[in-house]
Amino acid sequence: MELNICHLYPDVLNLYGDGGNIITLTRRLRWRGIEAKVTRAPIGSPLSLSGADLVFIGGGQDFEQEVLLEDLHRGRDREIRAAIEDGLTFLTICGGYQMLGGYYETWDGVRCDFIGALDLYTVGSKTRMIGNYKFRCEPEAGGSLIVGFENHSGKTRLGSGVRPLGKVLAGFGNNGEDGTEGAHYKNVFGSYSHGPMLPKNPAFADLLLRTALERKYGRAELAPLDDAAELAAHDEMAGKI
Amino acid sequence: MTKLRMFLAILAGRAVRLLSRLLHRGGTDMPGRVALKLCPELLRLLAADVKSLAITGTNGKTTSARMIEEAFREAGLRYFANRSGANLISGVTTEFIMNADWRGRPKKDYAIIECDEAAAKKVFGQLRPRVVIVTNLFRDQLDRYGEVTHTLANIREAMRGAPDAVLCLNADCSLTASLAGDLPNKVLWYGVDGGAAPSRPKPAISDATHCIRCKTEYEYDYITYGHLGGYRCPACGYARPKADVAVTAVTEQRADGSTVVVNLQGESCVVKINLPAMYNVYNADGALAAATAMGVPADTAIAALGRFSCGFGRMETFKLGKKGARMMLVKNPAGCNQVLEFLETISDPFELVVCLNDRHADGTDVSWIWDADFEALGRLGSRLKRVTVSGDRALDMRVRVKYAGVPDGIITVERDYEALVKTLEQAEDTVFLMPTYTAMLELRQTVIRHVGGADFWE
Repeated sequence: MELNICHLYPDVLNLYGDGGNIITLTRRLRWRGIEAKVTRAPIGSPLSLSGADLVFIGGGQDFEQEVLLEDLHRGRDREIRAAIEDGLTFLTICGGYQMLGGYYETWDGVRCDFIGALDLYTVGSKTRMIGNYKFRCEPEAGGSLIVGFENHSGKTRLGSGVRPLGKVLAGFGNNGEDGTEGAHYKNVFGSYSHGPMLPKNPAFADLLLRTALERKYGRAELAPLDDAAELAAHDEMAGKI
Repeated sequence: MTKLRMFLAILAGRAVRLLSRLLHRGGTDMPGRVALKLCPELLRLLAADVKSLAITGTNGKTTSARMIEEAFREAGLRYFANRSGANLISGVTTEFIMNADWRGRPKKDYAIIECDEAAAKKVFGQLRPRVVIVTNLFRDQLDRYGEVTHTLANIREAMRGAPDAVLCLNADCSLTASLAGDLPNKVLWYGVDGGAAPSRPKPAISDATHCIRCKTEYEYDYITYGHLGGYRCPACGYARPKADVAVTAVTEQRADGSTVVVNLQGESCVVKINLPAMYNVYNADGALAAATAMGVPADTAIAALGRFSCGFGRMETFKLGKKGARMMLVKNPAGCNQVLEFLETISDPFELVVCLNDRHADGTDVSWIWDADFEALGRLGSRLKRVTVSGDRALDMRVRVKYAGVPDGIITVERDYEALVKTLEQAEDTVFLMPTYTAMLELRQTVIRHVGGADFWE
């Protein structure tokens, strides 16, 4: 078995250790004897998503985020929308998560059109939502308890076309107001959880792998791994937050 | 009126200092804070007759300051410095209070001041430094500083308060170098020329991929580390400026130091640097540029670089274990990668201790450990005898080294520094200690309690 992981815009969306998600996905595949191939798709690369089984998009700095909008609107947005409707597995974090929504509006009213693949939008605020936080995934998103670190000033609002990824137990989540965190639509999982998200949340990492493998091979059984170190780190933070 | 306020502020500052020393606190910050409340312009008044040199930037501030100190000492200049790393306006003011008499007249002629990037805005205008070094800009403690372009804007604003200062800029950092275009200051460029050392591959994560002026992707002639090197923008022409104080060759890189050739305004000089690793080549080159700009003769400054030791957790050596130990403070991915690169050059087997804290001064977000190339540890093979993880976030660090490919069997968790140091005293191999800032303060104290602080290296 083999999984092709596409890291979209690693050249500009690589803040807060999000590359650790790629490291985690590949390690957890290889420990199980499954091939993992990572393709980096920087700005301007002609790569199409048709060969990919799992796409990761991270968060970035505002400065660089502006650079990629142009690239996005040269047709990649259409391609991403089609791939999502087709059931491709995505993990998107912070800026990458916001990007899948309809638009981002800065706190002083400047609107910037995004991909429009997910029924959500984000409005900037003057205060940043920063800190360790935890949330419980909805049952259809695996139901696991996630610990992470959030750092965003955008407040994301979900429309009726998507489900929240989970319920905030401590921290801000999507907007600090409605108790939702992230979004889940088909096989797309979006979250504010930097940290990175996957190393300390192995159950969620395996959910992504299983989702991608099932789509590719029809069924997927993941051999259990010794997650003692991961779970110890997870449990300690879950207790502290 | 101002004189009276100044007098009272100095009095209060000194009283607070005395009190904190009696209570066995450092008292590096509080005296200045109290004094500034009483007399907000105190730093400006105290600094007026002192020739100051200020150092800011993400990495290398403390090491550069120590190098310049050594050069000043060698040159016989009467100076003081904010040695304890108290680099906010309160800490800087404390240092000026302690180096002035009751009437606010300075006791020394020169000051070497390292300054936090975010605090520079408040400090530079009052300090009015003669020379300012900006070492480099990397992503650092994003929860505290925000994005790197934000830090750049802070420094640019700070420089408006020091229009007469000679600005020593790292030519190889495209972010730092961009300061020159917007400011009236005379600029002295320092950097490492192409061909001086083998070019490194482009890092997987760079903090400056796109032109700071026009957002086009940079082209590189060579890379020294991180995003530093010979960059140029194919669209707008923004490019690395020619360095005035240029490292033209790195002739030797050892575990305890480097030898380089520096072209100092037209003259080629061999420079021995008493600290290892490429980032210290930059620190030394910047120190050389700044010290000479302050009037220290070149040969005096060069001699100082071969002699000085930094201490305070920056490549500091201890007689710990059978073969000695070296402590290497890590704060952010760029600095951490340089330390990991240095470890890859060590040919003898060694033990590693990584202490990860997430307190305010460390940054509360530990995600940066995933931006650093700890995979280097996985590539060390049998040279790496043991990795001990410690600190408040030891368990996060354990996961990081596990995923970096370090075999589970050689990873240990030990959170008690006392027990950790006791074990390390028995170590057969060289020990390298990689703590974050607050972990360094605690670990260093424990190490010194056991083995003293004398320098030692085999």
